[in-house]
Amino acid sequence: MATSRRNTSQRLTLVILLLASITVITVAYKGEARQVIVSVRNGAGDAVAPVQRGIAAVLHPVGNLFAGMAGYGGALGENQRLQLEVGQLRHQLVEAGQAEQQLDQLRSEQDLPFVDGIPEVLGEVISSPSSNFDLTIEIDCGTSNGVGVGMPVVSGAGLVGSVISAGQHTAIVQVLTDPRSEVGVRFGTGDVAVAVGQGGGSPLQLQDVSETSLASRGAAVVTSGLDLAAYPAGIPVGTVSSVRHTGGSLTSQVLVTPFVNLLVLQYVAVLQWFPPA
Amino acid sequence: MTLRTWARLAVVVLAAVLVQVGLLNQIVIGGAHPDAFLMLAISAGLVAGPQRGAILGFTLGLVADVFVQTPYGLSSLCYVLVAFAVGLAASTVAARPTLGFQAAAALLGGIGGTLLFAGLATLINQPSVPRHQLAVVAAVVAVTCVLLVNPVCRLLEWTLAVAPGAHRDAGVFAGGSAR
Repeated sequence: MATSRRNTSQRLTLVILLLASITVITVAYKGEARQVIVSVRNGAGDAVAPVQRGIAAVLHPVGNLFAGMAGYGGALGENQRLQLEVGQLRHQLVEAGQAEQQLDQLRSEQDLPFVDGIPEVLGEVISSPSSNFDLTIEIDCGTSNGVGVGMPVVSGAGLVGSVISAGQHTAIVQVLTDPRSEVGVRFGTGDVAVAVGQGGGSPLQLQDVSETSLASRGAAVVTSGLDLAAYPAGIPVGTVSSVRHTGGSLTSQVLVTPFVNLLVLQYVAVLQWFPPA
Repeated sequence: MTLRTWARLAVVVLAAVLVQVGLLNQIVIGGAHPDAFLMLAISAGLVAGPQRGAILGFTLGLVADVFVQTPYGLSSLCYVLVAFAVGLAASTVAARPTLGFQAAAALLGGIGGTLLFAGLATLINQPSVPRHQLAVVAAVVAVTCVLLVNPVCRLLEWTLAVAPGAHRDAGVFAGGSAR
């Protein structure tokens, strides 16, 4: 009798909690409640930021150890600065080549936004995502530093992602390997496509690449900046790592390996640039 | 639960937040990191039983979701089911679960919780994680759950003032210790 009552009570509790969870998901999905949750998340991010910053300073080498950079934690900052220089040189190479001619052509023809001269806010990565299903990073600069939602984020090696949430002193950056991330890109002989994230550690996939495209392995991929793109033109994204023509299809499967190693990011720059309205 | 127990629980949850965002998030293995909140939800099921474990899982999920960008409430839904299932399994054991039982519960809870979260996310139209990545995440989460489940259970026993081996769901939330 007592067991039966206990079982009924357990089931009832389970049903109530499941309904409560579903209600929370539904209510929090949009509208004012969503805004409240965004504010709470930003506030919580700001609140734990000092702790994160302190622990991150100590533990970056530990994280790097697990990311395959054992023993080089102390040199990582220097490495990142060198990557910045390498990235700039790589960018110059891209711009100096054939792609640059086409980019110039596009710029002159369509008056596209220009990366150079965009003001930057430098930030340090203080936390990786708390969820394994959420490819974001947290940086130690926010609205008080001039960071806003939608701003592109780059490192020395190239595009990192964009700001999706900004608190007063911290901001959340969605990295380009997140499955929700879409980046308009240009590659090869002027082909344009959309690079979609496929999860951490996976290459980006270019969508809608024509079978007749001359994309080749090793080709540089940069942001296109076309139309209402979320990123200014010319930011290095990665290199084509695989091109597969599937029989019977009008499109090719093209994979892109990002320039930026998202596992060991320590410093980034937020470009104070907004997509055209 | 007494005020003292609630205060202990609040401290443990706060500590879990700091450990997750400050420490575990930095320990990235193959693109995945351990999940302190899922570990706590599994341990809550083991220590407090299905009913109270599920309530704790719900609460833990609400806190965990403040620090992620996934839909708010999704972790609660997942942790409620995981804690309830683990608690139900633990309630079949008369005495305190052995280390082997705890490890098995942590392994299955870690894998099941990860897959459940991914499945629930897909159900509400969230972008999915590739299968190979999902396998890595499940492996990393499950292994760390196995390694840490015993100390976390002991911590929760102290927090909830549950005597080791006392029947879970008996008195934990009903005004004090089950001792």
